[in-house]
Amino acid sequence: MSNVSATAAPERLGLLRVLGPGHVWALGVGIVLVGEYMGWNFSVGKGGMIAGLVACWVAGLLYTCVAMIDSEVTSTVAAAGGQYAQAKHIVGPLMAFNVGLFLVMAYTMLEAANAITIGFLLDTVAGMLGHTGLNQQPFIIMTILALAYLNYRGVLASLSFNLVITAFAFVAIILLFLAVQFGASAVPLDFSAVSNEPLPYGWLGIVAALHFGLWYYLGIEGTCQAAEEVRSPARSLPFGTMAGIMTLVIAATLTWYVCSGLIPWEYLGQAGTPLFDAARVTGSSSLMVLLFIGTVFATTASANGCINDASRAWFSMGRDRYLPSWFGAVHPRYRTPYRSIVFLIPIALIFALGAPLDQVVTFSILSGLLGYTFMTFNMVMFRKKWPLGTIKRGYVHPWHPLPAFVLLVLCAATYFAVFLGYGTQLIAMLCFYILASLWFHFWRYRFVKRGDQFTMPWPRPQGY
Amino acid sequence: MDIWNYLEIAAWVISAIIAGIMLLDMIKVDTTYDNELLTSSREGELELTQERHEL
Amino acid sequence: MAYQPPKQSLAGQIVDVVVLLVMTVGALYVPLYMGLAGAAKTPAPIENPTWEALGQNEAEQSQWAALGFPDAASANDIITARFDYTFSWAALIVMVVAVVGYFILVVRLSDKEYREVIEERFGKNGKG
Repeated sequence: MSNVSATAAPERLGLLRVLGPGHVWALGVGIVLVGEYMGWNFSVGKGGMIAGLVACWVAGLLYTCVAMIDSEVTSTVAAAGGQYAQAKHIVGPLMAFNVGLFLVMAYTMLEAANAITIGFLLDTVAGMLGHTGLNQQPFIIMTILALAYLNYRGVLASLSFNLVITAFAFVAIILLFLAVQFGASAVPLDFSAVSNEPLPYGWLGIVAALHFGLWYYLGIEGTCQAAEEVRSPARSLPFGTMAGIMTLVIAATLTWYVCSGLIPWEYLGQAGTPLFDAARVTGSSSLMVLLFIGTVFATTASANGCINDASRAWFSMGRDRYLPSWFGAVHPRYRTPYRSIVFLIPIALIFALGAPLDQVVTFSILSGLLGYTFMTFNMVMFRKKWPLGTIKRGYVHPWHPLPAFVLLVLCAATYFAVFLGYGTQLIAMLCFYILASLWFHFWRYRFVKRGDQFTMPWPRPQGY
Repeated sequence: MDIWNYLEIAAWVISAIIAGIMLLDMIKVDTTYDNELLTSSREGELELTQERHEL
Repeated sequence: MAYQPPKQSLAGQIVDVVVLLVMTVGALYVPLYMGLAGAAKTPAPIENPTWEALGQNEAEQSQWAALGFPDAASANDIITARFDYTFSWAALIVMVVAVVGYFILVVRLSDKEYREVIEERFGKNGKG
């Protein structure tokens, strides 16, 4: 493997700077594309077909704001841990601790959800081939362990792997769209429900659908976790992230079109693997195989990216002693945060083997949502403490503070959407984060060196 | 016993092997190298050499 | 004088990790065990279902067939299931207070810590 440097250990170990913009795209889209293969369709269930499409585009707008804001801050604060390092420099240590937890939770839960899906899919296929009662556990465990080992061995190999399988999964969606468009489907596309039953839940349904609309794009902001391993972060990160959003808006719209046309919305709203089901409806076995592989690849790519991102965030917190410093170790040969990677395996397994899928997904979405809310005031504070012209930014996003404001409004709407049905989880999660915050402020923070946390070569923030 | 049962067993075995390799390597690294060196990575170090923030 | 943090013992480090773990697992499993989690659709199947009565046209009927639902009765539950979006305003207010309160708490405590960081990094109120 090319990323394994066998040179004598240098005096200080750092992560290896080997990635290009293509890897950033693969990391961002790889994590997210699985959302097109499963999960997004619950938004159709929560509000009907129109609501599903509206949620897709509104969430697209939300994530465009996220990408704009994130690109500006990340191209300036380029450190592993992404938003965690941003929060540390702009808002303060406790916020950073919380953001670090959001990241680790969101990605570890998503990883667990992916492993569950792979087990479920294998069970389905085994069932179709006449084997009942497949034990899913070994496959779930093997998936998580194999991907963790790939990550352990080096970032270049794992993200190159991601690039290939993500591209395949993306092409599979386009092929399905083209095939259906040119009449490969035995069953015609039918959009009559759009006019017959446009909004089965009324306007409330559109807001409610937003909850799972996030699922189309959730995790794209993970690109900035790779900041310390990208060759030129100030250019690659904004480019890779924006390209990722465009890819996803296209994929999401195609997915909505094909699935809504081929599957009655009542079924679509509760389907486990919507794109695979759409392929089943076409009656073409080659499309079925294509979309089966696409689903497996998309879930694998996502889990792989999640391990990468969660371990970077955990590692960064260990490095700053927000967590025991033991976790801040870099492997001397592979140059990966190996202790964090190994430590997070059993955590992912606890959730993958023990909790139902929708709970895990909701936990993940909520942690993501809290992170987006943080981005709004983070952006405002960033411009206030270091106005344009005081430090060099790799990218400056236009129309500030409009994107931050739009993002805040959309976040508020999404909280309400989650509240419709999953209010208890929201409160439980907040209790967890409040407890953790108090624990950090009154106990853990004593082990943190104060001035050392501020690592950027910037001038003093204004007003402090 | 059909092919799926063998796959299950194979998955268990592969999992065990991977876990073993990873744990052994981790123990080897932790005992070979000094912990100070392993945890010597610092945030922002690359910043100083790679990115210029002055105007 | 810069703040010198105490050295943490290995046992202390392990205890800290365990505390965090317990909190995490608790947050996910406590709502599960209390049976409070999850929103389920409730089906309201109709009597003597036909595709027409369920509002499915011919194209949709062939789609149902391809998905493995040969007749209207088999799809009755899925088609008629609906979420219940009635909610109490009191619960909504509790949620708003919790979310807003959480962020205010975190930002205020962060700001306190942040001032210390800046002071140590750049010196007291002067130029760094």
